[in-house]
Amino acid sequence: MNTSQSVSSGTRWKAAGLLAPGFLLLTAAPALAHRLEQHFTVDPRPVITIHNPNGKVIVRAWAKPEVMVVANHASAKVEVNAEQSGNRVDIMTRQLEDTISPDDLRADYEINVPEDAELQIHNDSGEVNVANVLGDMNVETVAAGVDLEDAAGYLTVKTVGGSFQCLRCAGRLEVSSISGALRLLSLRSYHVRAQTATGNILFDGEFLPNGLYRLKNYSGAIEVRFSPGDSFDLTATSLKGRVNNQAKLTPPTHPPHYLSKFSNTILGTLNAGRAKVELSSFDGTINVLKRD
Amino acid sequence: MPTTGCIDFQNQMEKWMEGERSPQGQAHVRECARCRGLLDDLSLIVAAARDSASAQMEPPPGLWNSLRAQLEQEGLIHEPGRATAGWFPRMFGVLPRPVFAGAYLAALIAVAFALSGPINQRINKARWLRGSESAMLPVTSHIKSVEQGTNASALSPVPDLNPVATASLHENLAIVDKYIALCEKSVQEEPENEFARDYLVDAYQQKAELLAQLSERGGNGR
Repeated sequence: MNTSQSVSSGTRWKAAGLLAPGFLLLTAAPALAHRLEQHFTVDPRPVITIHNPNGKVIVRAWAKPEVMVVANHASAKVEVNAEQSGNRVDIMTRQLEDTISPDDLRADYEINVPEDAELQIHNDSGEVNVANVLGDMNVETVAAGVDLEDAAGYLTVKTVGGSFQCLRCAGRLEVSSISGALRLLSLRSYHVRAQTATGNILFDGEFLPNGLYRLKNYSGAIEVRFSPGDSFDLTATSLKGRVNNQAKLTPPTHPPHYLSKFSNTILGTLNAGRAKVELSSFDGTINVLKRD
Repeated sequence: MPTTGCIDFQNQMEKWMEGERSPQGQAHVRECARCRGLLDDLSLIVAAARDSASAQMEPPPGLWNSLRAQLEQEGLIHEPGRATAGWFPRMFGVLPRPVFAGAYLAALIAVAFALSGPINQRINKARWLRGSESAMLPVTSHIKSVEQGTNASALSPVPDLNPVATASLHENLAIVDKYIALCEKSVQEEPENEFARDYLVDAYQQKAELLAQLSERGGNGR
């Protein structure tokens, strides 16, 4: 091995080692070109509205009576506004020029809110991720997926193509989509209404006494998991698809008159039938499966 | 708030509309203003269904009033002037186009659904089909006109700032169109199948919402 070459090579590596962080900073700089951090002191149950055409919206609850907004956007052709009006904080990405590229529109948010905050989020594309917020929530997206964790209150979510997942949510849930898949996991909601046209629906949660669980799709699969101790009245109907059921149901003494002769339907009661479960699909398969 | 009496009564409403009126039902109707109102609306809907062959369909005034109250409450429409025109042009005048598309179609769908509801269960297939078609006609023709407007705005030079979202809307519109075609086929084959008609109504509603969103985008590029 040639020593001078080795020294030279070592020097080059050292130089590269010194330059690399600087280079990374330079390349990362555009992503952090515009950063906004604002703090707002709020009363209990504040309302937070977020309107963002494209980007990531992450909302986390914390114990402070304060809303903290951290926004990043690469382009100077948009600005991020956060304003307080009474107990409401409005956060919005605004376009500053008429003609800008789609990438220029992107803004990413990290927002901390009190846990009793009410959220209204509109985010066309990108993603929405909310955790530990217990107030009411309304989320509307086109292509953005929505992930909720440990949420409660009255939750309404509407997407066009974005998927939806709710982990350990409680309260009342109404979700609709056209092609998004819906996953409702470890749920403790007393009212669930979930509808999608072509997406799959998975429900793996508790059936609370007097709860109503209504899942509907056009195609795709609907899967509901139950434990033998659960208590519900089940109506599962698929017009052209199959209905598979592992629950030991007691058939109704008087089948309801509205039962369609054109569809495949399973109905009956598990244990005392305290909750009501209604599953319907046009040509998808419905699976009512016992939990492992 | 509906009571148990209301629920029992509404379960026997179909028989009631066919003239079979139990003493308990009559007593309930005397006491319950809500069910009386519902019966009035149903009577108007049945009367409208009898005239379903006529091209021009007027919804019952009660339905229009409740829709209008709801829209005003939600701030979607303002107090219109003392217009002398019918409900359709009045509504068209005050609503912004996308809201109009959604709200008007929702109203038509409600009427269409009501017209093709279980009251007519005993009439024959041909009448079912004719009823379904004529009830859906204003909805489908209006969707077509909104669609044409949306296509025209898509051709306008307004730049599309969020192609991901717009592509998703178009993709989902295609899904809904396919779903509508399949539901229509089912309704054609089994006109008495309420389940299929329920899905068809849902699909129309989804299409109206998607068109409204596309129309909004055509207007401002977002």
